[in-house]
Amino acid sequence: MSSFEGCPGSRMMDLRTTDTEDDAPATTVASQLRQWPIQMHLISPQAPYFQGADLLLAADCTAFALGGFHSDYLKGKSIAIACPKLDEGQDVYVEKLKALIDEAKINTLTVLIMQVPCCRGLVALAQEAIAGAARKVPVKSVVVGLQGDILSEEWL
Amino acid sequence: MDKYLTRPIKALITQFPEVGAILDEYEVGCVFCGVGSCLLKDIIEVHNLSEEEARVVMARISKVIYPDRDVEVPRIARKTGNRTEALKYSPPMKLLVDEHVLIKRFIALIPELLKIIDVESSEDRQLLLEGVDFIRSYADKFHHAKEEDILFKYFDETQQIIRAMLDDHDKGRAHAGSVVEAVEERDRDKVVEHLAAYGKLLSEHIKKEDEILYPWMDRDLTTTQVGDLFSRFAEADRAGGQEVTEKYGRFVAKVEEVMGNRKEKAR
Repeated sequence: MSSFEGCPGSRMMDLRTTDTEDDAPATTVASQLRQWPIQMHLISPQAPYFQGADLLLAADCTAFALGGFHSDYLKGKSIAIACPKLDEGQDVYVEKLKALIDEAKINTLTVLIMQVPCCRGLVALAQEAIAGAARKVPVKSVVVGLQGDILSEEWL
Repeated sequence: MDKYLTRPIKALITQFPEVGAILDEYEVGCVFCGVGSCLLKDIIEVHNLSEEEARVVMARISKVIYPDRDVEVPRIARKTGNRTEALKYSPPMKLLVDEHVLIKRFIALIPELLKIIDVESSEDRQLLLEGVDFIRSYADKFHHAKEEDILFKYFDETQQIIRAMLDDHDKGRAHAGSVVEAVEERDRDKVVEHLAAYGKLLSEHIKKEDEILYPWMDRDLTTTQVGDLFSRFAEADRAGGQEVTEKYGRFVAKVEEVMGNRKEKAR
């Protein structure tokens, strides 16, 4: 299955044997996205949909791994996405998160990451922003397994 | 079986003592609860038993109540959680749990305090009145008010578990009032009776909140509600919360020192 034993974040895994839902609804699943843009470099903390919002800071891969991403985690929230491993200029991310906490006065911050070690960087980034912000907000960490299962969900 | 689901647990345990023993096995401390007004169905729902544990508990209780016949075991709707994990509170609940720490430090001093207190001494009477001020201003006005005015409003306040907590608050207030009377009357026995009762009451009350009520509430609150609660607690604390915490932190430290010095002298 795997011939490459390097970084767990980029190790090849063949998941095709995973059972999938045969009885998935035939109708189109409604998107819960209520804003654009969503990438951390592109978003503006001043945007109205961030004011007082519950913010979902999602690692890029989570939306593909998690079957219920829209209904279980995005619904009712504003979103920003990032990759803590590949994105450049992450100091800008910290400043934007601080602005979201202090100026947009977000209500909560949910950090959704994959189980691979490099994804922990997104939680660290959020914690750095919290430590540097004047306001405090509740922060929740949710870890998604490679096959879309929730490995942990806890308030930090 | 359905009629027993809506019966207060104390009455049920009185009628069927074995029910208390079964609940005790699962660390559901209803046997020792001073109120016991929670309904059986709520107890199964509120405590963080696994699905399988809840099923087994209900089956065993059904067998105690109906030993001679097979009855359909009711399935209690409950939110799942993992009771094997250490308790991890949401930030607003953690704030309340942290406030309990100072109250527990004060309660821990009460037995020794009652051994040495002299109601004829103006210094001791003053210490007792300062203790009542701690109970009224910190434990009640500062801490319980967050529960009564904010937290409980997110839930159905007619539920027995919340009514039991409110009942504890009222009893605590009554004991504090009786301690003040006892000090004015210089009635040592009355001071001992009511301050000891307050310590026992609050000790059990805090345990119920830390281990049962708050985890249950945390399982029920949405992410948005957690953020909202956190903001409202912060807002409540902005009106002098830090000063209150520091003032009463200094008071408890002072009582700890007084108790230590007196013990040292008594040696």
